[in-house]
Amino acid sequence: MSSLDLFIKRRRKRFLIAFTLITSVLLIVFLAHLSLGYRFLNPLEVFVEGVAQVISRNLGVEGYRLLRALTAVVVGATLALSGCLMQVTTKNPLADPYILGVSSGALFMVVLSFMFAQPTAHPLAIALRTLTASSGGMLAYLLTMFIASKAGTTPTSVLLAGVAVGTFFYSASLLPQYVMFQDIHKLIAWSMGSFVSPSPEALVPLIVVSAAALIYIYLVRSPLNNLQISDDFVRQTGYNPMNLRRCLTFLASLLASVSVAWFGVIGFVGLAAPHISRRVLGTSGLVYVLPTSLVLGSLILTASDLIGKTLVPPVEIPVNVIASMIGAPTLALAIVELKRYGGGGS
Amino acid sequence: MEVRNLSVSYGGAQILKGINLRLGAGLTAVIGPNGAGKTTLLKAISGLVGFKGIVKLFDRELDSLDQAERVRLVTYIPPIVEALPDVTVGDLVLSDSMVDHGLLPKYVEILQLHTLLTRKLSLVSSGELSRALLARGLSRNSRVIALDEPLSHVDVRFQLILLKHLRTLSQEGRVILIASNQLTPLLSQVDYVVAVNGGEVAFFGSVADLLKTDTLSRIYGVRFEVVRVGDFTDLIPVEPS
Repeated sequence: MSSLDLFIKRRRKRFLIAFTLITSVLLIVFLAHLSLGYRFLNPLEVFVEGVAQVISRNLGVEGYRLLRALTAVVVGATLALSGCLMQVTTKNPLADPYILGVSSGALFMVVLSFMFAQPTAHPLAIALRTLTASSGGMLAYLLTMFIASKAGTTPTSVLLAGVAVGTFFYSASLLPQYVMFQDIHKLIAWSMGSFVSPSPEALVPLIVVSAAALIYIYLVRSPLNNLQISDDFVRQTGYNPMNLRRCLTFLASLLASVSVAWFGVIGFVGLAAPHISRRVLGTSGLVYVLPTSLVLGSLILTASDLIGKTLVPPVEIPVNVIASMIGAPTLALAIVELKRYGGGGS
Repeated sequence: MEVRNLSVSYGGAQILKGINLRLGAGLTAVIGPNGAGKTTLLKAISGLVGFKGIVKLFDRELDSLDQAERVRLVTYIPPIVEALPDVTVGDLVLSDSMVDHGLLPKYVEILQLHTLLTRKLSLVSSGELSRALLARGLSRNSRVIALDEPLSHVDVRFQLILLKHLRTLSQEGRVILIASNQLTPLLSQVDYVVAVNGGEVAFFGSVADLLKTDTLSRIYGVRFEVVRVGDFTDLIPVEPS
C-alpha cells in the first residue's frame, strides 16, 4: 500500500471515529437537555409528547423543551456552517460571523426594524425579518472586508476591522433598545443570544436557508475544496473563483444573519467548530470538515444551553455567555498558532 | 501548439503584446526578466486569463474547447500558493478531482512527499510546497503542461529529478513549457527557448542558437560567461553589461 493510500485511509478512519463520537455525545447532551430543567422528566416521553405538542401548536413543558433543544442543534449547525464558509472563502482561520461583525450588523438592522413594527408570526413578517437581518449582516461584512483590504487583507487586519465594525453595530443596536422600548429586558436577553423563547416560526427560515446552502455546497464541492488553496485551481475546475466567493460569502452572511434575527448574537461557534474539527481530523478536506463542524457546532450550543439553564436555577444564563467561554479560548489558540507559523495565509 | 497574435491586458497595462509561437512536442524554456510576462503567457495558454488572439492546442482552438476538454488538455502549475494554513500536503495533492489516481502515488514517491502528507502547509518549506504542487499538477497527465518557476524553490537534486522526468514526458509527445530564470540547469535540459521581454518574444529557437546571439545579455542586462562541461552548459553571470 502506498503512503498516499495510507494517508487517505487514516483520514477516513479518523473522520469516522470523530464524527461518530461527537454525534453520540450530541445525542446524549440532547437527551439530557430534554430531561433536565425546572423538574426532571423522562427524555423519551418529552420527545414523543413534545412532537405531538409542536405539531398541534399547543406547547406545554415537553413541546417547549423539545423546541429549545432542537433550536440549539439547528443554530449551532447553522453558525458552524457560516463560519466554515467564511474561513474557506477568506483562507483565514480566524473568520467567524461574530468576529467579522456580521452578527452585530444583522442585530442592528433587526433592532432598527423593531422601531417601526412589532414582530409578529405572519409569514410575511418572518420573511421581512430574515431579509432585514441579512441586509445588515451583508453590509457589515462588506464594510469589514473593505476596511481590511486597505490594510492588505491579512488575517489580523480582517480580525481588527471586524472588531471595529462589530463594536460599532453592536453599540448602535443598544441605543434604540434603551430609548424606545418598554419591554427592554426581553429585547436585551434576545440580543445577547438566547434560546429562551424558541418557536417553530423561527426554526423554519433557519432550516430552509441551511438546507439551501448545503445543496449549493454539494453542487460546488469540487471548486469549493480548491477555494481554500488557490484561485487558479478553482479556475481549472471551470468555475470563476470571484463569483464562487461572492455566492458563498452571501450564503455565509445569510446563515448567520437569519440566526441572529431570532436568537441574537452568539459568538465564536463559527470560529471554534471548523477550527477544532480540522485539528481533530488532521485534514482540511471539506468532505470531512463540514459534517464534523456541523455536529460540533450543534454540540457546543446544545451543551452551552444545557449548562446555562441548569447551572444556577431558576436563572437562565444566555447561551452566548457559555458558548463564548468555550469559543474565545479557541480564538486565542488560533491567534497563537498563526503567529507561530509566521503570519499564515492571507 | 500554436499562438497567434496573443495579447493580454490587466487594468489598462498591456502585459503581452502580440505573441506568436509555434511549438511541437518537447521541452521549452520560457525565460525573461521579472515582469516580462512569463507567468501571463503560461496562464493565457492554460486558459486562466482572458486574452486576445488565438491559442491552438493540438490543432484545436482553446476558445472552442469546452471546459472539461480544456481542463484535461492543459495544466498550469503554480510555484507557490497561499492556502488556508491548516491545509495539509495530503489535502493539497488530493484536492484535484481531475487527477489520475494511478499516477498520484507515483509522483508522491518521485517528489518524496510520503513523509510530508500529514503536515500543514504553514509548516512546510517553499521547496516542499513546490514539490506538492508539482505532484498534483503532473498527476493530471495533461498533454500540455505549463510549469511556473518550478525550479526556484526546490533544491538542486529535485531540479535534476524534475527536469529528467519532464524530458521523459516530452518524449511521450507532450508540450511542456517551463518558465524560469534558473538558467542553470534549465538550458542544459531543454529543446527550445522562448525569451520574453517587455511582453514580446525576444528570441525563439534552440539553446545552441540562443547562445550565438546576444539575447541573454540584452534582456537581462548582464554579461554571461558560457562554460561547457560535457553535455552540460553553465551560464555564469559576470557583471552588468
